[in-house]
Amino acid sequence: MATVLDPTGAPAADERRASRRGRSTAPGGRRRHVPPLLAVSPFYVLFAVFGTFPVLYSLYLSFQDWDGIGDMRFVGLKQYGWLLQDSVFWHSVLNTFQIWFLSTVPMLFLALVLAFLLHSQVRFTGAYRVAYFIPNVTSMVAMTIVFGSVFAQAGLANSVLRAVGLDGVGWLSSEWGIKSSVAIMIIWRWVGYNALIFLAGLQAIPTEHFEAARVDGANSRQTLFRVVAPQLRPVILFAAVTSTINGLQIFTESQVLFQSTDIGSTGGPGQEGMTIVLYLWQKAFKEHQFGYGAAMGWLLFAIIAIFTIINWRLVSGSDRDDRRPGIAGLLRRKGVRDGR
Amino acid sequence: MEHRTMTRRRLLGVSLGGAALLGMSGCGASSGSASAGTDHLSLWYWKGSLSDTLLATAKRGVPGMPGLKVQGSQIPDGDIDSKVRTSLAARAYVPDITVANSDNLATFFPDENEFLDLRTLGAEAVRDRYLDWKWKSCFTPSGRMIGFPLDAGPTALYYRRDLFQKAGLPHEPQDVAEEIPTWEKFIAAGRTLRAKAPGKPYLVSNIGNVFQQVLLQSPQQFVDADNRFIGDQQHVRRAWDLSVELLRRRLSAGITDGTPDFNAAMSGGRVATMTTAVWAINGLKDTAPKTSGTWRLTTMPDGPANYGGSYLTLTRYCRDPEAAFAFLTWLLSPANQLKSYQEMALFPTTPASYADPAMHTPDPFFGGQQPIDVFGPAAQKAPVVYFSPYEESANTPFFQELTNVEMLGKNPDRAWRDAVNTAETTLSRLGVS
Repeated sequence: MATVLDPTGAPAADERRASRRGRSTAPGGRRRHVPPLLAVSPFYVLFAVFGTFPVLYSLYLSFQDWDGIGDMRFVGLKQYGWLLQDSVFWHSVLNTFQIWFLSTVPMLFLALVLAFLLHSQVRFTGAYRVAYFIPNVTSMVAMTIVFGSVFAQAGLANSVLRAVGLDGVGWLSSEWGIKSSVAIMIIWRWVGYNALIFLAGLQAIPTEHFEAARVDGANSRQTLFRVVAPQLRPVILFAAVTSTINGLQIFTESQVLFQSTDIGSTGGPGQEGMTIVLYLWQKAFKEHQFGYGAAMGWLLFAIIAIFTIINWRLVSGSDRDDRRPGIAGLLRRKGVRDGR
Repeated sequence: MEHRTMTRRRLLGVSLGGAALLGMSGCGASSGSASAGTDHLSLWYWKGSLSDTLLATAKRGVPGMPGLKVQGSQIPDGDIDSKVRTSLAARAYVPDITVANSDNLATFFPDENEFLDLRTLGAEAVRDRYLDWKWKSCFTPSGRMIGFPLDAGPTALYYRRDLFQKAGLPHEPQDVAEEIPTWEKFIAAGRTLRAKAPGKPYLVSNIGNVFQQVLLQSPQQFVDADNRFIGDQQHVRRAWDLSVELLRRRLSAGITDGTPDFNAAMSGGRVATMTTAVWAINGLKDTAPKTSGTWRLTTMPDGPANYGGSYLTLTRYCRDPEAAFAFLTWLLSPANQLKSYQEMALFPTTPASYADPAMHTPDPFFGGQQPIDVFGPAAQKAPVVYFSPYEESANTPFFQELTNVEMLGKNPDRAWRDAVNTAETTLSRLGVS
């Protein structure tokens, strides 16, 4: 973990050097390349079939009108034009950003605090690390059903509120109730994952820095925000970027939370839980408008790309240049592991 | 090397719907079947849609048809539609026979040639075995019969006899049917119930259910057979107004079906009726076991309708259409539909089964009432309804806006205008005028 997430970017630099060496020592001898290429080919073949092809095909689809079986009809940019005029789509974009903000900001903060606590000397560190990571590998559908009971009118969340003398909240029947419910589920699922990433980053910070801070009389809070946070900047960027990418693709939580025998009630009252990907799924896979769904997918891609760049600028604004390949390396690895 | 490229190419074609690749290599309709090269026909279904016992028999050999075996593959019910579509688009590994849900069959109408016309296989010869409206619903607008009647979903009014009695309302099934014959009377009864019954129970769990049922009582839905939007007309408006009236009279609990709140309300006696189909019986028994004996069934206000039910279809890749059709007529014969009812609670589409003593069993959950006494006549009286391929696109905004009215207090007239506008915009992109 620690080497993969080394914030100095050493792994990526190593890779570059290695590939340059490989090229220079084998001039002309094409045969030599065959065995290593064959060795890595399973990934690339599978990636081409299940990654590249569908991506390119969806771009092609976004210019067509297709119900999934019959003949396609070329419609040019019409799907995009319709999409830009679709008020439900814009509502889903707004919802997605609201839910993303409600979840990502508290989650990254919580994760940082958790990582800091885990990094200090506590008993049963391993058990805590496992416990915090478990939500991330739990079946989201099963957990959403559990959360459905928690957020019910007579559910656990409202019972707790009433026990401390507060009024119950319409978790699943009011605008901010719905968004908070989804955000809480996202925080619950991802906080441990990000805490472990921060922890890996923390472990790469030389202990001298902590000792120096202690000698200078810094307390825990000052150590966290003045010493740790600045040095963790590349890791925080990584977490922020991946959280943005994940956060803009929220789907399962909204879908399962409002799944019911009622047809057409996706996204809950006021469609406040309707996210971009949920809308994409509804149009493409429930109403069989694959061209429309594909166009939505590409607009989502554009939005994610823009926000990733903004994130990057914000967090690494005054960074030294040599840190960037490190982040790129981290992202590449993350992408490889997730199969994205 | 030659060999490897071939297989890779085939893999590409098969897994990604590379129709063009397969087209080039000359794959005809005959080789697209999932059962190619085996001794059986393949059948896709979801759990609970067919009798497991009969399928086990068919796997060993369909009785009376030497050499005919049918092997069922269970597909999760949320996936079966996209799997069927994917295989049809890929023209490979298509099942010979597949189950389609009632709201799903119509979505195949634009691609009706992907399915065999069952009339060419002699379907007319067995027509009088099946419910007339169900039979008619198997046809596409152009007159191709792409579905075969599996089960039906006749509807009824489920009500709490004890609560009706305490409110001084008619409470025996026969009396309720006679004295609450319309939705208007139903709403009036709801007001009495709310005023006089203990615990001030709500009449319905949410207004969307009533909207759905009133709509299903109409032969017209949102789009007609000529692909015209008719969702802004009187039949939809009436369903809308009745639903809003329920809300205005505070007769709806505002609870989404299937949620923990719904389960709590049903078992706690906070909701006094359900307007739904026969297949909801088992769900209600699981949800509210403690209320056993207090429920009764009677005719729905304004008369019965059909809600749900399924079809079997034969795809055009079917290896042996005659044998597959023979299998359908065996599996869905009156005798076997009766068995499916006893085993799986699949309500028969063969009226002859309703007279069988096996269907006339008293149900203690309904105080010893025989459900068939209500559902049998309901199944025979359900209207012939035309569902268009675009029904879901058209009705989603209406259900959504009703939820907004009920849960968020949106102005009903504004919600109606928004629903009509959204539906019209969506449908215009799909070629519906």
